[in-house]
Amino acid sequence: MDLLTFSLHNIFALLQQMSIILVIAYLFTKSPFFRSFHIHTLHKKQLVSLYLVFSVFSILGTYFGLRIYDAIANTRAIGAVLAGIIGGPWLGLAVGLTSGIHRYFLGGFTALSCALSTTVEGTCGGLVHLYLVRTFQKHRLLSPAVAFLTTMVAECLQMIIILLLSEPFDQAVALVRIIALPMILSNSAGAAIFVSIIRDQRKMHDDLGVTFSAKALKMAEKTVAILGQGFTMDTTKKVASVIREETGVGAVAITDKEKVLAFVGLGSDHHLIGGKISSSETMKAIKEDRTVYADGGEKKWSCNLSDDCPLGSILCVPLRVDNELIGTINLLEPKDKLFLVTNKSLGEGITKLLSDQILYSRYIEQKDLLTKSELRLAQAQVNPHFLFNALNTIIAIIRKDANRARDLLMHLSNFFRKNLKHTGDLATIEDELNHIHSYLVIEKARFEDKLQLEMDIDPSLLALRVPVFTLQPIVENAIKHGISNIIGPGLIRLSIQRQSDSVRITVEDNAGNFLERSQKGLGMNIVEKRIKNLCGENHGLKITCIPQQSTIITITIPQGGCKGT
Amino acid sequence: MIRALIIDDELHAREEMEALLAETGIIETVGSCGNAIDALKLINRLNPEVIFLDIQMPVLNGFEMLNMVHPDIMPQVVFVTAYDQYSLKAFEEKTLDYLLKPVDSDRLAKTIAKLQQTIVEQRPPKYEAEEIVRIPCLLGNRIKLIGMPEVEYITTGPAGVHVVTEDQEYFTEVTLKALEERSPLLRCHKQYLINIDSICEIILHEGGLAKIQTHSGKIIPVSRRYLKVIKRKLFL
Repeated sequence: MDLLTFSLHNIFALLQQMSIILVIAYLFTKSPFFRSFHIHTLHKKQLVSLYLVFSVFSILGTYFGLRIYDAIANTRAIGAVLAGIIGGPWLGLAVGLTSGIHRYFLGGFTALSCALSTTVEGTCGGLVHLYLVRTFQKHRLLSPAVAFLTTMVAECLQMIIILLLSEPFDQAVALVRIIALPMILSNSAGAAIFVSIIRDQRKMHDDLGVTFSAKALKMAEKTVAILGQGFTMDTTKKVASVIREETGVGAVAITDKEKVLAFVGLGSDHHLIGGKISSSETMKAIKEDRTVYADGGEKKWSCNLSDDCPLGSILCVPLRVDNELIGTINLLEPKDKLFLVTNKSLGEGITKLLSDQILYSRYIEQKDLLTKSELRLAQAQVNPHFLFNALNTIIAIIRKDANRARDLLMHLSNFFRKNLKHTGDLATIEDELNHIHSYLVIEKARFEDKLQLEMDIDPSLLALRVPVFTLQPIVENAIKHGISNIIGPGLIRLSIQRQSDSVRITVEDNAGNFLERSQKGLGMNIVEKRIKNLCGENHGLKITCIPQQSTIITITIPQGGCKGT
Repeated sequence: MIRALIIDDELHAREEMEALLAETGIIETVGSCGNAIDALKLINRLNPEVIFLDIQMPVLNGFEMLNMVHPDIMPQVVFVTAYDQYSLKAFEEKTLDYLLKPVDSDRLAKTIAKLQQTIVEQRPPKYEAEEIVRIPCLLGNRIKLIGMPEVEYITTGPAGVHVVTEDQEYFTEVTLKALEERSPLLRCHKQYLINIDSICEIILHEGGLAKIQTHSGKIIPVSRRYLKVIKRKLFL
C-alpha cells in the first residue's frame, strides 16, 4: 500500500516533468524548422536536425528525472521512441544510443541497463516506423494511439532489461515496483500528447494554406476576364470590389500612374474616383517600382485628404504588365484593425495575377488584330494581279464587243465594292455567292472556254451565315493554282449541300495540283482560322487532292450556319 | 516586216497583242499559241525574229520555256506580264524588253523601235539560259515534266524527240541540241543522248564502235567519235 501511494506520487511528479517537455515540444512546433519539414519526405539534413532535437528532448528527460534509490525515474523514452517512429530505425537507434550513453555516465546501479534499454526503445520506435511504412500506413506515423502503445511496449521492455541486468537483483525488483507504473504511463501519455501537438500544428498550417489558396483561387475566378476589357474605371471598380469582398480589408484602391481609377470601401466619401493619387506611399510604390507597406504600427499611414479618415494602414503593390508599370493596387485597413499578413501576401499575389490577365488579354487582342489584318492582307493580295488581268481582258473585248466589255466593267466594280465593304465577321451564303459571281464572270471572260463552271446549291441554305470572305479565296485558289496551271479545259464545281448534321461547301477543280504546293497558303489558312474562330473548333476546311485529277476543298459549317463570337 | 510569235495562255490577251502589233504596221504576227509546248514547236517551225512571251503560263512558265530553246534559233524576247514582280528578273535576264499588261501602244512603239535597232545591228539575242532540270513532255492534253534522273536516254527520229525512261517513252518539243547543251546528258550518237547514270554496260565492238546497255536493259548505239568522250567521263 505504501508502495502504491509512492507510486501515485511519482506519477504526478513525472507528469510534471512531462509538462515541461511538452512545452518545449510546443515551442518546437513553432520553429521555422518544423514548418519546413514534411514527415513523408525527410532529407538527410532534416534527419540530422531531428536527431539533434530528439536527443536534446531525451537528455532533458533524464535531467528532469526523479532520483529513486540511486536510479532515475524519467521521461527519457519519449524522445527516443518518437525519433524512431518519425525518423525510422536508424534515427531511433542514434537518439537512443546518444541519450543512453549520456545516462550511463550519470552512474548508479541501473546505469548500464538504462543506457541499453533507451537504445532498445529508440530501435523499437524505428521498427514500428518500418512496419507502418511497409504496410502502407504512413498516415499513422503521427497517430497518438500508435505513439502511446509503442512507448508502452518500449517501457515494459525497459523494465525487463532493468530486472535482467541490474545488480543486485532484489534492489532492481524493488525499483521496478516503484517506477514501473508511473514511468510506463507518463512516458506513453507524453509521447501520445507530443505527437498530437505536432499533428494539430501541422493541420492548422494546412487548413490555413487551404483557406488561403481557396481565397486566392476565388479571386482569380471572379476577376478573370474583367481586366481583359481594358484597364478602365469601370473594370477596375469591379476588380476592387472583388478584392475587398474576398480579403475583407477596409478599402481597396486601384490607380494608374497618376489618378485613382477605383476606390471601394471605407473612406470612399473623400477618396474620390478620378482624383489625383493622394497617398504618399502609393506615389512611392510607383516611383520606386516596388511594394510599399505601412502596417499602421511601426510604420504609420494616414490619409492626406481628411483627418476623419478611418484608414490607418496600407499595402501598395505596383501593377506591371510586360515589365511596364501601369498602376497600383492598394489594400487599406482602418486604424482599429490589424493588417493581416495573409492579406499582404494575397494582395501581392492578386496583383501578379491581374498583371498576367492583362498581359493575356493584350495578347488575345493582338492576335485578333492580326487575324483582321491578315484578312485585309488577303483581300489586298488578290487584287492587283486579278485587276490587271481583268483590265487586260476587258481592253481586248472592247474592240470586239463593247456591250460585253461594259458588262464586265460593271462586274469588276461590283466585285471591288463588295471587297471593300466586307468588314464584319459574318455574311450570308447568298452575299458570298454574289461576291464570287462577279469574280467568276470576269475570270470566265479571261479564260473563255478553258474555264467551265458548275454550281449545285441548295437554295434553302442561302440565308445561312458564314465568315465573311470564305468562298472567294477558295474559288480563287481553284483558278489561280488549279485550272490556270493546266493546259486542257478546266472545270470548277461549287456545291453547297446539307449533310446529316452540318452544311458542306465544296469547291472542286480538275487540276489536282494541290500536292505540289505543300502549304495551304495564306488565304486558305485565314479561311480555316476564321471558320474555327467563328463557327467552332470542330468545323473547318479539308483538302483532298488526287494528283493530276482533282482538288476538293471541303468546308463544313454548323447546320444553322455560324453564330459568330 | 518583222516576224513575230505571240505566246500567252489567254485568248483575249493574244488577240489584243495581235491587234496592237498589226496597228504598228511593222510587225507581222506569224503565229500565236497558248502554252510553252506549242511555243517550242512554233519557234522551231516558224523561226520568228521576235516572241512576245507571257511569263505566267501553265506548267512551264516563260523563263523555263526559254531554257528549252536552242541558241541557234533563239529569237529576240519581249516579256509581257501583268505581274510587276517579274519585271526585275526579266531585266536581269537581259531580254530585249518587257511590257506590262494592259499594254500601252506608245510603250509598245518604243519596244519596237528598240527591236528594229537590234535587228539592224544584227545583235544576237542575249538571253542567258539556265540548265534544264525537267523536260516538258506531251502526254495527251497534259504536259508532264520529266526530271533528269528519271531519263535513261533521249533519241531523235523522223517523228521528233523522244525521252525514254525506265518504263515509258515521251514525246518532247525540246531539241536534242538544246538538251545536249543545257543538261548533263551526254551525246553518244548523232541521234542519242545518254544519261551517264543509267549506263549498266558498254559493249565494245570492232572498229571503235560500241553499244550501251542501260539499267533497264535497253541497247543504244555509240558512235566512234563519242566513245572517247564517254570513256573519259567514266575514267576508262
